[in-house]
Amino acid sequence: MAVSPAPPSLEERVDTFVQWLFEDFKPVPPTGPKVFNDALLGHLLFAKHEVAVIDCPVLQRLRRIKQTGLVYYVFPSATHSRFEHSLGAAALSERCYDAIRERAKVEETTFPGDDADLLHLRMAALLHDVGHGLCSHASEQIYKQLSNLQEFKNDKYKANQEGEVLSYLIVTSPTFQKWFEEYVVRGCQVKLDLKVVSDLILGRHGEKDKYFLAKIVSGPFDCDKLDYIARDSYYCGLALTVDLPRFYSMISTERYKDYTDLALRSYVPVEQILFGKMNLFGSVYHHQKVKCVGSMLRSVIGHIAQNPEQAKFPVRGGRHVSFTDPVEYLYATDDEFFSQAGGFGDEYTKNMLSRFRNRNLFVRCLEISRRTVTNWQHYGRQKLIDLTVLPEKLLDLENKIHASLPPADRAKSNRDDVRLSVPGIPPLSGEALIRTYRGASAEKIKKYFPVSEWIQSYAHNKWRSYVYAPREVAPAVRDAAISVLLEYSGLKIDANMSNQTCHL
Amino acid sequence: MPASQNAALPDHILAAVLTLAKREMLNKQPKETRFAFHSDDSQLQEIFSELQKDYRILDAFVFSDSGPEPYSPALEESVSSLQLSGLIGRENPEYEVVFLQPSADGFFDDVLTTEFDKSQLEQLTKIASVFLDRVKVA
Repeated sequence: MAVSPAPPSLEERVDTFVQWLFEDFKPVPPTGPKVFNDALLGHLLFAKHEVAVIDCPVLQRLRRIKQTGLVYYVFPSATHSRFEHSLGAAALSERCYDAIRERAKVEETTFPGDDADLLHLRMAALLHDVGHGLCSHASEQIYKQLSNLQEFKNDKYKANQEGEVLSYLIVTSPTFQKWFEEYVVRGCQVKLDLKVVSDLILGRHGEKDKYFLAKIVSGPFDCDKLDYIARDSYYCGLALTVDLPRFYSMISTERYKDYTDLALRSYVPVEQILFGKMNLFGSVYHHQKVKCVGSMLRSVIGHIAQNPEQAKFPVRGGRHVSFTDPVEYLYATDDEFFSQAGGFGDEYTKNMLSRFRNRNLFVRCLEISRRTVTNWQHYGRQKLIDLTVLPEKLLDLENKIHASLPPADRAKSNRDDVRLSVPGIPPLSGEALIRTYRGASAEKIKKYFPVSEWIQSYAHNKWRSYVYAPREVAPAVRDAAISVLLEYSGLKIDANMSNQTCHL
Repeated sequence: MPASQNAALPDHILAAVLTLAKREMLNKQPKETRFAFHSDDSQLQEIFSELQKDYRILDAFVFSDSGPEPYSPALEESVSSLQLSGLIGRENPEYEVVFLQPSADGFFDDVLTTEFDKSQLEQLTKIASVFLDRVKVA
């Protein structure tokens, strides 16, 4: 009996994707360094070997993925891409590194870094987001719901987010490594070890003395956060201040339990960053209409995943993807996905893409929050929050709401038209270190400033869950959702209170 | 099917441990009316990373060993989640006192006792007992 070959592993599937990316790429060796003019950070200088990487398809692909996913449907200027964010993160990683080195020099302490570390740090920051797919974080939420993520639980990266793991796997893929060795290491005559770069992306470093480098790339106040808080608020038109020079003036390295970690000298910059982050979550990422378009994207992707034969998404080279595997989200970029006016031959997809094109969005039918739930102290809130990690239960509830509609409304709508959006809580750890004066030992920043409680308090008042549907069935969906959610969670939602914000 | 649906949710494990610890404490000290203990997130991380070595049910809290201390994002998220859902609270001004809200009992009795089987509940009871020994009751 013939033995069927084992299905390709996650690593193999990522390498196949990278091969596909490089298929029609003809590298042109860079002639020298390049300056990029960034609207937020100004002139950013990149060395010749970095230009080679910037010009390769792994980075160029990020030009076609918006940094804030579908946020531009609400904040029209927010069309900035993962590409410019990656350039910004690389620049900020160096500013952080320089600030630490400068402080060590002034204070006449030992600086544990060298020029090679800076090269690796910048490269890791540049590549940290290459694992992002269609619509950035909006699709991350979807593949967490539609895919089996067991392969992401490898010992090496078990505590990392799936997006970080995909970035790591792209950078360590045989195809990328081969190209990198030939065109970057040998082509540009630079000593760079991709193992160090990829470990930094996961927030790791093989040497305890250089652990702070990992924290600059992936930590409580990493270059990623500092760039996106400043960049997203700038492009969304929010007048938030992230005082980067002040932040860098207060950062240094500190020995902590045998590791050289990052430490701040004051919690004031932390307050500012937290305030910025919470404002972004409250005003932008968790804006009800942003959640609405994210839910609509879940409808389309979910429909494609459930109907792979009739609705598969065509990509270059005669391939098709059906979004059942997180790797498949890498093949699709925002530009390519939303330009498919024909809807890949599938009627539902075609109609939904038409809705996106004409901004004919679903509407809020029901708000679930402390102002609309009359028994807010009931444990049903936990059952609602559970839905953020129980995708099948979430889908089951949505289907139940649709099935409970009066026949006339049910006939006017599709099962995928009813969406329940339950946001999680903004993540930000209080594990960063602080050293309040020279000679003091490092302590956890939450001893001085209650980071997570501050977020909790803010989130508690801001947290809202919504049910969305097409306008023509919204009142019926509201009534059905109130009954179904009462049965599931025990939460009693006051329709009149909800109507005040949902305008039904 | 997403893997997350096969195993007990980390939030639920934490809620069960805290509720069972509360019940053990109230059994020992019947005059007490609530369960509150001193802890910050780092201590919780340390306690659970040690308990995980003996109790497989805690495998849901995946710990990273890349830094100076064991750290489980799932545990940190679970604490946040229980606070957001109102099952636990923290007291001002230093937020180092964690206490269980009355709704945690209802959640345990109505939801968790049907979710965990007998052997899991036994494990969780043992974990709760060790946990109670490790924390300073407020």
